[in-house]
Amino acid sequence: MKLVGTIAVRAGRTLLLLLAAALGTILLVRFAPGYFSDPREMDAKYSAVARTEMQAETGRSRLVNRILLDEAESWLKGDFGESRQYHIPVVKLIGGRARVSVILLAKSILMGWLLALCAALPIASLRGGRVLCSLPFTVLLAIPTAAMATACIVSDSGGPVLVLSLLVGARDFKFLRSLLEGAWRSPHLLQARAQGLPTRALVFQHILPNAAPQLYALATLSIVTALGALVPVEVIFTVPGVGQLGWSAVMNRDLPVLVAVSFLMACVVGVAGLFTSRSLTSEAV
Amino acid sequence: MKVRLPMLLMALLVLGASLTLTLSRYGYSFQDRDAIQAASSPLHWSGTDELGRDRTVRVAAALLIGLTGASLAGAITTLIAAAFGLLAAFSNRAIAALLIFVSDVFLSLPWLFLLMMARSLMPLTASPLETAVATFLVLALLGWPACARAVYSGALNLRNAEWMIQGHACGLRKRQLLRMHLLPHLRPLLLPQFLICLPAFLIAEANLGALGLGIGEPLPSWGAMLLEMDNSAMLMSSHWVYLPIILLVIVLLILESISTQVEPHA
Repeated sequence: MKLVGTIAVRAGRTLLLLLAAALGTILLVRFAPGYFSDPREMDAKYSAVARTEMQAETGRSRLVNRILLDEAESWLKGDFGESRQYHIPVVKLIGGRARVSVILLAKSILMGWLLALCAALPIASLRGGRVLCSLPFTVLLAIPTAAMATACIVSDSGGPVLVLSLLVGARDFKFLRSLLEGAWRSPHLLQARAQGLPTRALVFQHILPNAAPQLYALATLSIVTALGALVPVEVIFTVPGVGQLGWSAVMNRDLPVLVAVSFLMACVVGVAGLFTSRSLTSEAV
Repeated sequence: MKVRLPMLLMALLVLGASLTLTLSRYGYSFQDRDAIQAASSPLHWSGTDELGRDRTVRVAAALLIGLTGASLAGAITTLIAAAFGLLAAFSNRAIAALLIFVSDVFLSLPWLFLLMMARSLMPLTASPLETAVATFLVLALLGWPACARAVYSGALNLRNAEWMIQGHACGLRKRQLLRMHLLPHLRPLLLPQFLICLPAFLIAEANLGALGLGIGEPLPSWGAMLLEMDNSAMLMSSHWVYLPIILLVIVLLILESISTQVEPHA
């Protein structure tokens, strides 16, 4: 019963966070200079009466509560409004692109985790030279995502998955190494090692189960890291995903698309945080 | 002792960049029309870009602008985070929960996406200096939430410390407690937060610049110089095009090394 209560409170808080993120996006765009500029006003084919009508329409849409109502109405209809630049329902724009981004993120996070785990496990068990062995990951963290992506294009090798995997892998490696180092030196593991337990058993029976809560938290961090890098990677590699759509919406002040993309990103972060938190069960039990 | 080597390296880099800017006969925006995309020569040590501007001078200027901007933005972020964290830690539970919720709203969106959104909504017609100020201001105003959470948990521990209760019992005023006891104890927490901000802000500026939302031309910046790598003709003509990215990675490694070494000392 307590678990259900905790889940309900957390879900409610996440929902509030999502609404606040969407509201923040609307306010940010509403007060951006140039948001209300209408290119039709420069067109000579429109008469003075039509221009006056356009200005009146713009004046009506300046009110924040009007924008909020319009957004809420389009969300209730399920089409998330109409894109200002493409003139099609946002839901159609996001549908196909979300699939591309989800596949890209899933591949990258999986490869990043494999890379980080495969490197962190042996390096954490080393007695010396750990800093030197970790150097490639430290250097990777110091390269901006955009530079890494550009380098891939210039050298004609690798692609968006490689860039995102390297980024996620480098970020996760840093945490995994310190986590596994601590675990490797814990008294019960020293005892198990002294008794000659094989490394595989040590890893799968002792280290990974004990580090599971931190690994769950790290999974959330991986998602946030990959989502953050999604925009430059998709823009530079011209991947038709949500990140590229978000960038295009930002550049063209396309409010309905921007709100939907922000909400989607906040959803992924919020839900990932909700499901990966093991403290949820530990709090309730 | 260990912190001194990266600090010395950083000081040497800053000194080198300052000397380059002072002693060079070219300004960072001067265009040498007779040396467009020139290779390395005694006149232009690391060649010129597609507009004939000296690359060494531009990289030196980008380094100084980046470090100055990131330091100022880092200081503002740390101040905001300190104020926010302290306010949340020393308020009643309802206000603390509200403040934490506000920071969570900022953290619910990926940082680069949030930065991109905020930066792109700045005025479209702005001078290069204004774009530089806007870029670093956006970084400063959006970089505080994670830092504030760290300050909040540190300040909570301090609030419940025995010497704090003793101070209250002795009749010290809130202002006295803050100035004489709390802030000196918070300093070891704030310094690493400030140092962590520096490489994060430099990387963010470079990423924003590469998306066309960074510092405006002709002011040199890491992001704008990364865009040079898009020009394949230039990449073929000279390997010096890679100088900005190599130097940026070196600067970031030095900053990372300073922050990781200061943290355990703190």
